[in-house]
Amino acid sequence: MILVIAEHRQGELNRATWETVVAAQLLAERLGGLPVNVAVPGATGSAAQELAAAGIGDVVTLVDPALEAYTPDAYVMALTGVVASMSPRFVVLPHTYQARDFVPALAARLNKPLITDVTAIAGTADAPTFLRPMFQGKLAAQVRPMGEPPCFVTFQLGAFRADQVKKSSTQSSVTNLAVTIARSAIRQVPEVPFQEAQRAVDLSQAARIVAVGRGIKSKEQLPVAESLAKALGAELAASRPICDSGWLPMERQIGSSGQTVAPKLYLALGISGAIQHLVGMKGSRTIVAINKDADAPIFEVADYGIVGDLFEIVPAIVAELEKK
Amino acid sequence: MNRDTLDVDVLIVGGGPAGLSAALRLAQLQKQRGGDPVSVAVLEKARDAGAHILSGAILDPSALHELVPDFRQKGAPLVADVRRDRVYFFTEKNSLRFPVVPPPLRNHGNFIISLNAFVKWLAGSVEAEGIDVFAGFAGRDVLIEGDRVIGVRTGDRGVDKHGERKAAFEPGVDIRAKVTIFCDGVRGNLTKELLRRFQLGRGRQPEQFAIGIKELWEVQPDRVEAGTVIHSMGYPLRHDEFGGGFIYAMPEGRLSVGFVAGLDYQDPLFDPHMAFNRFKKHPFVAKLIDGGQMIRYGAKALPEGGWNTIPRPYMNGALIAGDAASFLNSMRLKGIHLAMRTGMLAAESAFDAVRSGDTSAAGLASYQEKIETSGVKTELYPVRNVHQAFGYGLFAGLAFAGVNLLTRGRWPEDLHGHPGHERMKTLTWYYGSKPASLAPSHALSADRRLTFDKLTNVHYSGTAHDEDQPSHLLVHTEVCGSICGAEYGHPCTRFCPANVYEIVHETTSGPRLQINASNCVHCKTCDIMDPYAVITWVPPEGGGGPQYNGM
Repeated sequence: MILVIAEHRQGELNRATWETVVAAQLLAERLGGLPVNVAVPGATGSAAQELAAAGIGDVVTLVDPALEAYTPDAYVMALTGVVASMSPRFVVLPHTYQARDFVPALAARLNKPLITDVTAIAGTADAPTFLRPMFQGKLAAQVRPMGEPPCFVTFQLGAFRADQVKKSSTQSSVTNLAVTIARSAIRQVPEVPFQEAQRAVDLSQAARIVAVGRGIKSKEQLPVAESLAKALGAELAASRPICDSGWLPMERQIGSSGQTVAPKLYLALGISGAIQHLVGMKGSRTIVAINKDADAPIFEVADYGIVGDLFEIVPAIVAELEKK
Repeated sequence: MNRDTLDVDVLIVGGGPAGLSAALRLAQLQKQRGGDPVSVAVLEKARDAGAHILSGAILDPSALHELVPDFRQKGAPLVADVRRDRVYFFTEKNSLRFPVVPPPLRNHGNFIISLNAFVKWLAGSVEAEGIDVFAGFAGRDVLIEGDRVIGVRTGDRGVDKHGERKAAFEPGVDIRAKVTIFCDGVRGNLTKELLRRFQLGRGRQPEQFAIGIKELWEVQPDRVEAGTVIHSMGYPLRHDEFGGGFIYAMPEGRLSVGFVAGLDYQDPLFDPHMAFNRFKKHPFVAKLIDGGQMIRYGAKALPEGGWNTIPRPYMNGALIAGDAASFLNSMRLKGIHLAMRTGMLAAESAFDAVRSGDTSAAGLASYQEKIETSGVKTELYPVRNVHQAFGYGLFAGLAFAGVNLLTRGRWPEDLHGHPGHERMKTLTWYYGSKPASLAPSHALSADRRLTFDKLTNVHYSGTAHDEDQPSHLLVHTEVCGSICGAEYGHPCTRFCPANVYEIVHETTSGPRLQINASNCVHCKTCDIMDPYAVITWVPPEGGGGPQYNGM
C-alpha cells in the first residue's frame, strides 16, 4: 500500500496534495497495482470528504487536539504510530515547506530512507527508482531506496499534474484513527500563521501567459503586449529587468527570483531567455518565442519561434485573433 | 531599540579555515590546561559553513597535521593526493610545457581538496567540541569602546528595500567579547573598518589583490588522471597583467577549472570573466573540457601582496587572522595552511590573554611574536618581493622570482607595490582616444558549451538573496554618468564576475547605474578595484549569498 500524507490548512486542502496523489497512483501502477490510502492529520474540515469523494482509496483522519495547529513534534509523533500500524510500502508527500520541516525527523525516527524533491518515477516493479535534480537541475540523480520499507518520498511541486488524478465514482471510506501524542513532549508552541501580503495575481494558475522582456524597450510600449494578452485572455508577466525597472509590479516576475509557472501557452516577447528566466517557465506546455536575435537562448526551449520585430508581429497576431 | 546581547570570552568572526582552526585550537587548549571554561562563539554569514568559501584548492597539510594529527581517521575530506605537476606557458594557439616545474609550484605531499567540503568537516569538528557556530549571521559593525574592540554587532533582519522594517524585523545582536578574532576573509568588511579606525596598515605596503574565477566540470574520466595539477601563465593575459589558469583533476572526471587575474591591470576594458572564457577556449583547455558539463561556478578575490602588506594584526581586544590580514603565499599559490596556522596562533594568544586578564594590545602582542617565530615568517619573508616584481611585467616577475630563489630572498631594497585600483588607466590614456565601443577587450560571445555569459554563470553559483532588502553594495557618490563613463567607461560592469553592475540606457533619460545586488557572489572585487573607491561591500541579510557545495 502507498500512503499519501495530505496537507491542508484549517481543513482546506493544499493543491499540491492532488499532485502527490497522481504521483502515488503512477507509483502504485508501476508496482503492479497497489492500493493508495490517504492520511489526513488534524482538524480535517472538508479535506477528508473531498479526498473520499474522489474515490482514490481509503482515507484515514488522525484525530487529536494537538494536531489542530501544525507542530513538527506532534506530526512526527502521530505519524510514527500510523506508519507503523498501517505498514505502507511508500509514504509520499508534496515537497512543501511543511513537509520539509517534519519529514526528515519522521524518517529518522523510524530509521527509514527519505528521497526528496522527486520529479519522476522510473525503474521496475521490484526496484522502482526516483529522479531528483542535483546542481540546480543540471543533473538528475536516479535514486533507489534500500532496506526494509517503508520509504519516504516527497514530490516536487508542479512535477505531476493535479488534473490527472484517476477518480472513481465510488466514494471511499473515511475512518477516524485515534493517535497517541505525549503533549509534554511537544517542544514548539504554534503561533498564528504569518500572513503574507496577499498576492494580487497568482500566475501559477493562469492557463495562458504573455511575458515581456527587454525587447519591449520602454514602459510606453507595454500596451502592445497588453493588447495581445487581452486578445488571448492571458495574464501579463515579465522577465526580471522589466520588473526591476518598475514597468510591471514584482508579482508579475517569472523566474528564479519570481514565480514559477507552467501554463498551457507561454508567449515570450523580446525575452532573451537567461537561465534565471527559463527555470521559471520551461515547464509550460507550449512555448512561443518572438525575438530579434536568432541566437537568443529562448529559442532552445521554444516550441515555436519567430525571429523578428515584435512590434510588427504582435499587432498582426492581435489583428488575426480579433477576426474570429 | 531593544537589542539582545551575548557575552563570550572569545568571539570568532568568520567560519573559514582561519576561524574554525582558531575555534578548534581554543577547545584543545581548554582541555589541556583545564580551569574555568573559556566561552567561544563563531559567526558565519553563510547559511551553512563552507557555502561561501571558494578556492582551487590545493592544501598544504602542515597546519592540519598539527591541529588534527589523526585527520585521516577522522575522515578529513581530501579528494586526491597530488601525483604530478605541470606548468605551461600559453600563447594564443600553443602551449609550451616548462621542462622543470619551478620549486614553489611543486605539490608533492599536498592534496587536492574541495575547500567547501573541508570547511564543512572542520565546522563539524568544532561543533563536536561544543562550540556554537552561528551560521547565517553576518558581522555588520565592529563594536568599539574608546580605543578598544569589544565585539561585533550582527546585521538586522527583515528590513525592506527602502530601509523600512518588515513584519518579521529582528534587530541584530550585540556579541560582546574579551577578545574578538577577525577571520572575515579577503577584504573583510569588518577588518577594513579596523584598518581604517586603528591605522593598522601604517608603515606597511598597500594590500594587493587578485580575483579568482572557478568552475567545476564533469568530463569523461579518461581526460586527465586524478591528482594532476596544471598551471598556466601567459595567454590570454598580456605581459603587464598578472595571473594565470589552473586545472586540478579529481576522481571520476571532476575538474576544477579556474583563472586568477591580478586586480592591478591597466586596461579599463579588461574583464576577468572574459579572460577566463578565453582561457577555456584555448586549445589545451578546450580539449580537456569539451563535451563535459559545467556544474558550478564561483568567484572570490584573494590577497596577493605577501609579507610586507600584512597589517598589524593585533589591537586592544582583537586579532586578525587568515586572508583578512593577507596571510597567503602568492608564490606557492597557497593560503589555506597559513589561514589555519594564523588562526591557531591567534587562538593561543587569545586564550593566554583571557586567562591572564590582560586583553589589551600589549596582552595580545604575543600573536605577532608567534607569527615571527613560526613557519609563517619563514615561508613568507623570503618571497616578500615576488608579487611586487610582477608589477614590472610577467618576464620581469619571472626573472625576479628565479633570482630570488637563488638568493633565498636577499635583495638590497624591498620593492614597492601600488594599490591595484590606482593602476587602472583612463580610456584615453590606454587607447590613445576614446574607443567607439565599451565592449571588453578580447570580447568573445559565449558558445554556451565551453563558455557562458555572466548571468548564466551566476545561476550556477547558486547565489540567492532575499530580494526585498536594501542593496548591500553601497555607492557613496554616484560618478557613473558624470565622470566614470567618460574616464573609464564603467569598469564595474566588467570587473564584477556576477553581473551585479549594469548601466541601463533608457530612451527617456541618460545612462543609469542599476545594481543587481541579488546576483552578488560576495567576491569583493568591486570594493577593491573600483578606480574611484566609492563602492563599499557590506554583508547582506545573513544567510544570503552563493552556495558553493562541492567547490
